[in-house]
Amino acid sequence: MSSGCPPQSPAVAKSEVAVEGECPLLAATFAYWDNILGPRVRHIWAPKGDQLMFLSDGEVTFLANHTLNGEILRSAECGAVDVKFFVLAEKGVIIVSLIFDGELKGDKNTCALSIILPQTELAFYLPLHTICVERLKHVIRKGRIWMQKGYNIISVLSLEIVPIMELLASMKTHCVPEDIDIKDTVLNDDDIGDSCHEDFLHKAISSHLQTCGCSIVVGSNPEKVNKIVRTLCLFLTPAERKCSRLCRADSSFKYDTGLFVQGLLKDSTGSFVLPFRQVLYSPYPTTHIDVDINTVKQMPPCHEHTYNQRRYMRSELSALWKTDSEEDIPPDTVIHTDETFTPDLNVFQDVMHTDTLVKSFIDEVFMLKPGLSLRSTYLAQFLLLLHRKALTLLKYIEDETQKGKKPFRSLRNLKNDLNLTMEGDLNIIMAFAEKLRAGLHSFVFGKPFYTSMQERDVLMSF
Amino acid sequence: MIGSPDVVAFTKEDEYGQANPDPWAVPEEFSVPLHPLADSNPWAKTSYAKFTKDFILISEFSEQVGPQPLLTIPDDPKVCGTFDLNYFSLRIMSVDYQASFVGHPPGSGYPRLSFVEDSRVVLGDSKEGAFAYVHHLTLYDLEARGFVRPFCMAYVAADERKIMLQFQELSLRFSQASECLKAGNRRAFAKELQRKLQDLEYTHSVLQREEGLQREAGPQCMYSAHAVEKANELANVEKSIYEHRDLLRQISSYHRRPRRDPHAVTCQKCMTECLSECEELLDKYVKLANPFSYCEKEEDGQGQFDDEGGEEEADEEDDEGVKRRPSYTPQLIKAKSAKCFDKRLKTLQELCDETFYDATLELLKETERSFRGDLCYLHTRRLDKALRRKQRVANFLFEEDLGNDDEDEAETVRPFCAVNHAIDSCILLNPPPIVLGPEPLELDALEPPEPLDPTSETSHTQESELGLGESHLESSPSDQTLETQESSEETKGSFSSDKSGVGPSEKQQSLTSMKSEAPDPDSDLTPDPDHNTDLERESSSEEMETTAGDDEGDDGGDQTPVSLLEVVSELKASGEDECGGGNESDLLVPIDTACCMAQEGFLYEASAPETMPCLRQSSHPPPSPTPVVNQEPQALLPLQDDYTVGSPCLESPATGLELPVGHLGDAVSRTSAEDGSDCTMSASTGSDRAASPLGYGGVLTLCHRKKAGQGALRFVRQYPFAMQALWCLLSGRTLVVLGADEGRVRRLVAALALFVPAPGKCGERVQAWLSCPFTLTDLQRWKLIGLQRVASPVGSSMLYSLSRYSRYISILDADQKTLRCPPYRGQLLANVADHRTYIRRGSTYFLHIQSTLCHLAAKAFLFTFTHHLHLPVSATEGPEVVEGRRRCFLQEQLGLGEEDSQILLYLSQLITQQYLQPASGGSAAAPCFSFNYTTSVLYKI
Repeated sequence: MSSGCPPQSPAVAKSEVAVEGECPLLAATFAYWDNILGPRVRHIWAPKGDQLMFLSDGEVTFLANHTLNGEILRSAECGAVDVKFFVLAEKGVIIVSLIFDGELKGDKNTCALSIILPQTELAFYLPLHTICVERLKHVIRKGRIWMQKGYNIISVLSLEIVPIMELLASMKTHCVPEDIDIKDTVLNDDDIGDSCHEDFLHKAISSHLQTCGCSIVVGSNPEKVNKIVRTLCLFLTPAERKCSRLCRADSSFKYDTGLFVQGLLKDSTGSFVLPFRQVLYSPYPTTHIDVDINTVKQMPPCHEHTYNQRRYMRSELSALWKTDSEEDIPPDTVIHTDETFTPDLNVFQDVMHTDTLVKSFIDEVFMLKPGLSLRSTYLAQFLLLLHRKALTLLKYIEDETQKGKKPFRSLRNLKNDLNLTMEGDLNIIMAFAEKLRAGLHSFVFGKPFYTSMQERDVLMSF
Repeated sequence: MIGSPDVVAFTKEDEYGQANPDPWAVPEEFSVPLHPLADSNPWAKTSYAKFTKDFILISEFSEQVGPQPLLTIPDDPKVCGTFDLNYFSLRIMSVDYQASFVGHPPGSGYPRLSFVEDSRVVLGDSKEGAFAYVHHLTLYDLEARGFVRPFCMAYVAADERKIMLQFQELSLRFSQASECLKAGNRRAFAKELQRKLQDLEYTHSVLQREEGLQREAGPQCMYSAHAVEKANELANVEKSIYEHRDLLRQISSYHRRPRRDPHAVTCQKCMTECLSECEELLDKYVKLANPFSYCEKEEDGQGQFDDEGGEEEADEEDDEGVKRRPSYTPQLIKAKSAKCFDKRLKTLQELCDETFYDATLELLKETERSFRGDLCYLHTRRLDKALRRKQRVANFLFEEDLGNDDEDEAETVRPFCAVNHAIDSCILLNPPPIVLGPEPLELDALEPPEPLDPTSETSHTQESELGLGESHLESSPSDQTLETQESSEETKGSFSSDKSGVGPSEKQQSLTSMKSEAPDPDSDLTPDPDHNTDLERESSSEEMETTAGDDEGDDGGDQTPVSLLEVVSELKASGEDECGGGNESDLLVPIDTACCMAQEGFLYEASAPETMPCLRQSSHPPPSPTPVVNQEPQALLPLQDDYTVGSPCLESPATGLELPVGHLGDAVSRTSAEDGSDCTMSASTGSDRAASPLGYGGVLTLCHRKKAGQGALRFVRQYPFAMQALWCLLSGRTLVVLGADEGRVRRLVAALALFVPAPGKCGERVQAWLSCPFTLTDLQRWKLIGLQRVASPVGSSMLYSLSRYSRYISILDADQKTLRCPPYRGQLLANVADHRTYIRRGSTYFLHIQSTLCHLAAKAFLFTFTHHLHLPVSATEGPEVVEGRRRCFLQEQLGLGEEDSQILLYLSQLITQQYLQPASGGSAAAPCFSFNYTTSVLYKI
């Protein structure tokens, strides 16, 4: 491995990060293209402790330089963050590099923020790729502002590198398995009310599906939390399950942006503090389920969520832009506001839309005898129906609008033709379709700044 | 609950989207767009790419001209449009992927070949809107710098997400292609090395001879300058020989090296063959070990060298394979230029053995085809398949057969060698109508001009990966060609029944295929075409009717199981002789003589193990003692998947799908024979046109069904009574489409066939075009019939059969645009058959139909397997109570009316039968044959 590697630059700084458990990440690096010396590594983050595979600093430097090769040709737009993904069998590693431009010492440079994992973790990492990339992309946005101001980008990047290491370590131990045994879920109960109240279960699953399968389950009893987590994960695809996390029995994980379902344990005082910013940065709206008090709350639908998210991101970047001192890196816990935007902190609302799809499914599935795979089969039929309806809806809109060239004006017809007259049903199918075609909500519901209430008025007018 | 530790104070009311320009605002390049393009058009994300669709690009980093594109798949300039392939090649090839030493390492005696693992990179050019999965590989070339030529194969798409979400599949496919290309390259490289060694040996022998002559000619004790030069030249050649021998040794040890790439795809068969053949190669290598053999042979007088050469390959003359190939003429090489050969670089095709190169291209073409299309459809298709695998018990109702999909899935997981298996795989992977036509022609071109003897063919199985004997390689395709032709002919045969001009042998072939493919229990007896007269058929049907008439007075009651549980109960009950002997002699038993006209229906039903059909009122099935099935459906799935009917113990491997008939009643046997004759008749009469995909021997593909979606949408829009027609099909009432124009009838049948429950793998329940009268048994077998209207004596007999069975069937007159069927007042189908629908395209309507039918199948599954509906709760509970509970479930739980309930009852019966057939001890359970005596109504436009 070390043969053929260039000598390590003495200027490379290294941070060792203490991560609980086994971290599959070998290292993270920040490198830039020096106009005189070529690719240079500026900083290395490495998890502390034993790892599956050891990379020397020289090897890490070599690999980090590797990611910038060829980027001399880069002709991306200013501010663009491009992703490169390497699987280098010769080295036995996978590298995810985010290439961007930034100002260093008054010069525009091409930079790369990379994470390195063993090649054996490819299957583990791939489902989590989007989560990692989206989170790193945003911290790069912040880092670029910092570089523009001539400050040290490393402190900003550390704000996300460390949590990503923790996320990967936690997923290694508490990831929801790809195949869930229905016996570990509520759907194996003899009767509908055995584990939890019928309405609660219906509302939880319905809201979970309406928020694109993105939910957090909080509670004091880890077993109870995990049973609901597994139950909700039954309605996800195998890849989405790999992006879901069970709750830890002894102490809670932190909330992690981007996971589909995560179980979180309340503290001794019976509360769990959700970070507003991180919840808002989730790619989809989230359902909040408290298994202690059987409550289900949900965030506004996709288009409104995305709009709020972008507003908040802009606000956060703006706050950073206005910062005068390198020491004043706004912590993630600060709720950013400015003159033009004040976030609505009451993001979780009651589930208002009723549906027939989940209601009838919940009613019917418990009629089938448990333990005979009958319920699994019926669940598969239900999911098949939802996926097909979503594709039909997508195709319907595609036909109506000539692939988005014309505005969509026939929501009422769609609801009648596809038997989606109940708002809850429409929301569920729209959520499935949103995952297939990002931006569909904004396109269908017109102006993205409609609040849920306004949208409800619009829908009711049909 | 929701923490907000550092909330900055509210300053003013929120005004969405009304921000004032702020001089201190963050520049857009450092911010995020509030309204990205995807919001205004979710389809626009990929529309700014300069190419029209995804393609595969093969590029090379040439040591002479740098990165250059070599070829694209598909090879159509329109696909790439104005996209700059040169620039993109530069971008993807400028990745320093190799990072390993190649060439002549310090301290090593000979040049070393570098066995570099492939690397995979996903990168993009956001400005151009192009993203690529790039698979880097290295090929060997004796004339290249360091003996290596870097290449890459890239899948170029406009959607980055599509590549990342399918990374593993792409990686697998490209790894297969890469391994194939590299295997071919190693063969070509080894061949090149061998030739080079021959050249060098020949040169060496010539030099040695010249040197010897000079030595003899000159004085004994001194050497001339010329002689010294010759000696040096000779030494150089010897050195070069050792170098090339070492290269040959290295390349032959390729397969023994440990693989560092856990995702590399290697073929076990290839590896085994390679091992055995490597021994062969090493054997040759030993023979080549003495570079001075030419000289020795000359000295021994066993070989003569002349300038023409070509006959001195005494070492290999014992190899029969080598004898046949064109002998290579060694060239004289100047020792100084041993490493500086012709500098024209070989093309990719020249670098690779032809067969392997073609196989690689074929693999890449297949890859391009399989990843074609929008991500959301590809993604949903995959999920769809995965979910359908979990619900196989009801798939047979409306879903496409999963059999081939399984193979596809297995194929993507199973590593395979393109050369050994690719051609077979192509047959499996591609739909026969598309591939099998041109395939044999293409393969014919690969056949060697001369026939090969069988011994050489048998030796092909041990063909070396490095296969220096060309004959081995050339003869391989011929074997595969034969297999391909055979298999294609077989497949053709299975499709020929629906085509015009079918010969007798083909008819027989189609019959065979019908027998083997159709799960139709009636096909257990091989039909004899000579005895298939209409008279016999008529008499048989008369006999059936007579039987039915005789049984009218029998108060057998409705013993037909309407659910799985009930059937099982009957199984047990029959074991205890609870059914009584009366039923055993009855094939068709009316319920009540007094209410013959008013009776709701009766049906044929298997009452295993006697397989005696029982009678019931279709909508009022009397209950029966029903023990619970304590057997989960999945336990029986392997049998069901194969559409196995009959007892496994009675099946022979060759006739796995045939039914055992020994213990069947005479009536059933007669029916089976008769049906077999009908098969022949319908195959011949239905062979007029190939317009419709339906009919015997034609596998219903998704493509066919999607095309039919357009027809179905047209039908729903044109005919206000479409809902009634669909109800007939879904509730099991045979629908006859009558018309004079065959094309129109076939199109209508193809459209309506989408709604036929359990149409069979090959659409056995649908007869697209029938030009002769049908019988009662036909109605049992076919649920949708296209019938020719003719003005002739035959036509009058057809009309007679129509009027005769009009009580049992629905008639859609395509010419008059009328429908005669019982009235339907339900709501279940209102959504799928609304003629005012705003659905614009047939493909969209097809998706809508799929959803609706999936929903129906789920409800039928629920009804079938909900235990308490079919079981008495207590011993005192009578069958009427259980029946009442069923009705209550249908009406109150599922909210279905009378007619809608009939749909679920019928579907439930089909599921029950499908579920029980493998477990019923080989009973030839006939499909449900129910009639409804409700008065028919004539619907007009």
